[in-house]
Amino acid sequence: MSELWQALAQGVFIGSTYGLLALGMGLVYGVSGVVNFAHGDFISLAMFMCLALFSAFSLDPYVSVLITIPVMTAIGALVYRFLLRPMVGYKFLMVVQLTLGLSLVLQNGILMIFGGQPARTPSIVESKLIILGDVVLRLAHVIACAVAFAMAIGLYVMLRSTDFGRSIRAVHQNAHAAALMGIDVGRVQVMTFALGIGILAVAAALLLPGTPIQPTQGLQYTVITLLVVVLGGMTNFVGIMLGGLVIGISEAMGTVYVSDTLGRLVPYAIFVLIMLFRPQGLTWRAS
Amino acid sequence: MIKDDFFKTLASPWLWGIVLLGAMLPMVLSSYYTHILTIALVYVALASAWNIVGGMSGQISLAHSLFIGTGAMLSAALLVKLGINMWAGLVIAAATAGLLGAIIAWIDFRFQLGHLSFVLITLAFAEMASIVVEGWDFLGGASGLLLPQDTGNFLDFQFGGGRGAFWVMLGLATIIVLVNVAILNSPLGYYLRTIRDNEKAAQAIGVNVLRQKTTAMVISAVLTSIVGTAYVRYLTFADPYLLASPVITIEIVLFATVGGLGRAYGPALGALLLVPLGEVLRGKLGGAVPGLHYFIYGIVVIVVILATPSGLLPLFERLFWRRSRMLPKI
Repeated sequence: MSELWQALAQGVFIGSTYGLLALGMGLVYGVSGVVNFAHGDFISLAMFMCLALFSAFSLDPYVSVLITIPVMTAIGALVYRFLLRPMVGYKFLMVVQLTLGLSLVLQNGILMIFGGQPARTPSIVESKLIILGDVVLRLAHVIACAVAFAMAIGLYVMLRSTDFGRSIRAVHQNAHAAALMGIDVGRVQVMTFALGIGILAVAAALLLPGTPIQPTQGLQYTVITLLVVVLGGMTNFVGIMLGGLVIGISEAMGTVYVSDTLGRLVPYAIFVLIMLFRPQGLTWRAS
Repeated sequence: MIKDDFFKTLASPWLWGIVLLGAMLPMVLSSYYTHILTIALVYVALASAWNIVGGMSGQISLAHSLFIGTGAMLSAALLVKLGINMWAGLVIAAATAGLLGAIIAWIDFRFQLGHLSFVLITLAFAEMASIVVEGWDFLGGASGLLLPQDTGNFLDFQFGGGRGAFWVMLGLATIIVLVNVAILNSPLGYYLRTIRDNEKAAQAIGVNVLRQKTTAMVISAVLTSIVGTAYVRYLTFADPYLLASPVITIEIVLFATVGGLGRAYGPALGALLLVPLGEVLRGKLGGAVPGLHYFIYGIVVIVVILATPSGLLPLFERLFWRRSRMLPKI
């Protein structure tokens, strides 16, 4: 029984961070229809920035967030403005290809600077544990979960009750009508993309403690994020956080209960089954 | 039922002239450049086979690593583990790939998957397949399978490496490009493009969507699997991280898109330009700074896509042919 609780707890904590990763992608998809296949490589980029800041100034990842958030946000704005915006109106696949090219550039840029060896960024919370009965929790996971939910709630409030949030929702619902109401659609799209990438800086710091990082990990994170976004119905806020929990828990359950190979199959199998048999939970716009 | 344009292409001196000239290249080139061209032809064949599904019927399948993996890993496993002749292995693997393709097409139809969900479901299948290959010893597991040395015995599906492999790949690539031309000029091609442009309208005017999509997917899967078998024979080492990983599909889709989706010669053009570029960059720069060649490669891809979002082939047509009568119209 304790194994079950352990797996559940771990799944919830990791899953909430996955949800946070996916919120950024969902926001961007909702506003500009871009599915960013370089998402995972932006996470890598933020993680390696933390590593660089640690090696240069021995900053803890939780502190370097103060630097990585503005930097990642600026990178996001530039990438959207100069690479993705010119592609508006072309086929979905071309934008996907462009982000795949971007993923190559980011992944190998990181490889050139940091080398291919797996690296670790130490943090003060790395080895701290919390013991509740039979369940052993890592403090880093608890912090990650708390921050992820706090950020999600913050974003939700922002979307509901600030002007920026309202303009995001307006562009999501009907870009033409939003433009007629005097909203600068292009600017909202740039800012949303920047926001989506900025969130990754936080998620990267939350995932870092105890996780080895290497330049080639990007695609894996992209795939996980995509799974979560799709499970959550692309732009459904609560759905995405739930999707993160589903993927996180199924991953944890898979590694605890089933053999290694089968365990790694579990999240994908669950994803395929949900996609096929519960598509009503997925509410993406008609193509 | 196939339009005359196909037979005109088939009788075109240009086509056979280019193929013959290509076939003579290994006589003059060093073995290193022959190798690069062989790899380029593998990708010409793979991207053109993918084009039947991804370009013509507009289903962006990321499951093609499944078919390459079937063709490569299954035939290799049958040969190494059970001693089954590779020609038979090729047929068994192609039949398996065709069946898998039919299942995927059926799932797509039965559950009415949208564009994005199709991309993601096929990606999930590809990820699952690579996990299965890496975890199952019969298919080589994570360490892969080493094939017996290529002695040039044709009856054992051996072509003597080097030049022999080049000619086999040239033949396969030519056949698959011609299959593309044939499909584009046949009812199937018109059905597929109707489905791509508006599936509901296609259904309303009586196109059997399930049958056409399944046909396209099975043709594509079988061709892809055959190329996979020939590729693994050339490599002599069945590497699951190369042949069964979704990354190879992403590369194929990249070549097809950069060249020109849904066109008969587009994917071939993309692969012929990008593969040698990637290989030469790797050869010249890969040793000095790891990652630099892929970095430059990525930048080239971004620049090409930003400059010609509909692909290189349409751009070349605008530059060189004012009116292209030779190419099938879409």
